[in-house]
Amino acid sequence: MKQETMSRYILRIVLVLLCIAVVVAGLLAFVNRITEPVIAAATEARTMAAIREVLPGGYYIVITQYTDDTGLVSAVYKGRNGYALEVTPVGFDNTITMMVGVSRDGEVLGFTVVSHTETSGLGAVAASGNSAGEAFREQFVGAVGSVAVSKDGGEIDAITNATVTSRAVCEGINAALSCVAGMGGAE
Amino acid sequence: MNFKKQFLDGLLTKNPVLVQMLGMCSALAISTSLFNGLGMGIAVTVITICSNVLISALRKVIPSQVRIAAYITIIAGFVTIIDLLLKAYIPALSESLGVFIPLIVVNCIVLGRAEGFASKHGVLASAVDGLCQGIGYTAALVLICVIRELLGSGTFGGGLLNGGEGIRILPEGIPAMMVVMPVGGFLVMGLVLAASQWFTRRMDKQNKKKEAGK
Repeated sequence: MKQETMSRYILRIVLVLLCIAVVVAGLLAFVNRITEPVIAAATEARTMAAIREVLPGGYYIVITQYTDDTGLVSAVYKGRNGYALEVTPVGFDNTITMMVGVSRDGEVLGFTVVSHTETSGLGAVAASGNSAGEAFREQFVGAVGSVAVSKDGGEIDAITNATVTSRAVCEGINAALSCVAGMGGAE
Repeated sequence: MNFKKQFLDGLLTKNPVLVQMLGMCSALAISTSLFNGLGMGIAVTVITICSNVLISALRKVIPSQVRIAAYITIIAGFVTIIDLLLKAYIPALSESLGVFIPLIVVNCIVLGRAEGFASKHGVLASAVDGLCQGIGYTAALVLICVIRELLGSGTFGGGLLNGGEGIRILPEGIPAMMVVMPVGGFLVMGLVLAASQWFTRRMDKQNKKKEAGK
């Protein structure tokens, strides 16, 4: 067999890699087309479930006009009984996404953690369904103005060994409260 | 091809985690509950089988100078497909494994099998190899998960059984949270490694004795 020339060899390498890349890209585009609507629907369903949990009572509209000094509020929904705000404070590991329900009078109705990457068994208690998690979340119900963990002179008992996460949750709640307070005058 | 040997290799004598020390990063990071371990193990198994088959089929076409680039492209493709499928159909698992699914691309087990086995063997043998190595990875992972979950959270089957809470075996207060943390991951991994070394050595000795007795 004749020795392959250098230029032909390079051409072969490029063609093989190109073919592989094109086939893989095509396959990904195909899978993406199938899964994209399913993923979007799942995300939407999760958001709606979170809103329903913290703000019972009915129909929600998205509010785009709001003032947010903290930069933590990522979405605001208005319902019959108040507001549901998606806030994203930074926890121990990364951003915690939580949904906070606030009444029209600026009282916390409750909150739920939509997604987080806190340490399992420590910070993750804030999101967990066990008694410790429920007790932690319960403390925020009815809060007005602003909240802080007891270490910072507030009323909230932080999760054991997870002060950073607890502070982040307080920060998120405060952002939601101040955002709603800002909207009160506009109405 | 000796399938029985391949299976034993994957599970024990050449176990990817316990003997080859591959894929340690993911094995340490996500081994906190049975659900995570099984999910990650199955994901890696599927990806290893798929990439092994394709790479084996293309082994005569891919020029050796660019083989790693070609392998990584193929592996990344399969990983992304699995990532999208998980996000769409098993969001809870996708949430709990987080970044470690996309990171399978750089998991040395997948690339290691592509380079070390699939590029030199036929399609069927490569598929079996992917399956066996995947099972080995899953088994090691599940073992570490069960130990860490039991000692760290006091439960079995977290995220999977009993509505996601797991079945409580040790009463609250006894489990040491440390075991679930990275420190505990290294400790448990080390102990499991030691135990598996002890076990394989003992098995080797017995085999030799048997042969000498013949």
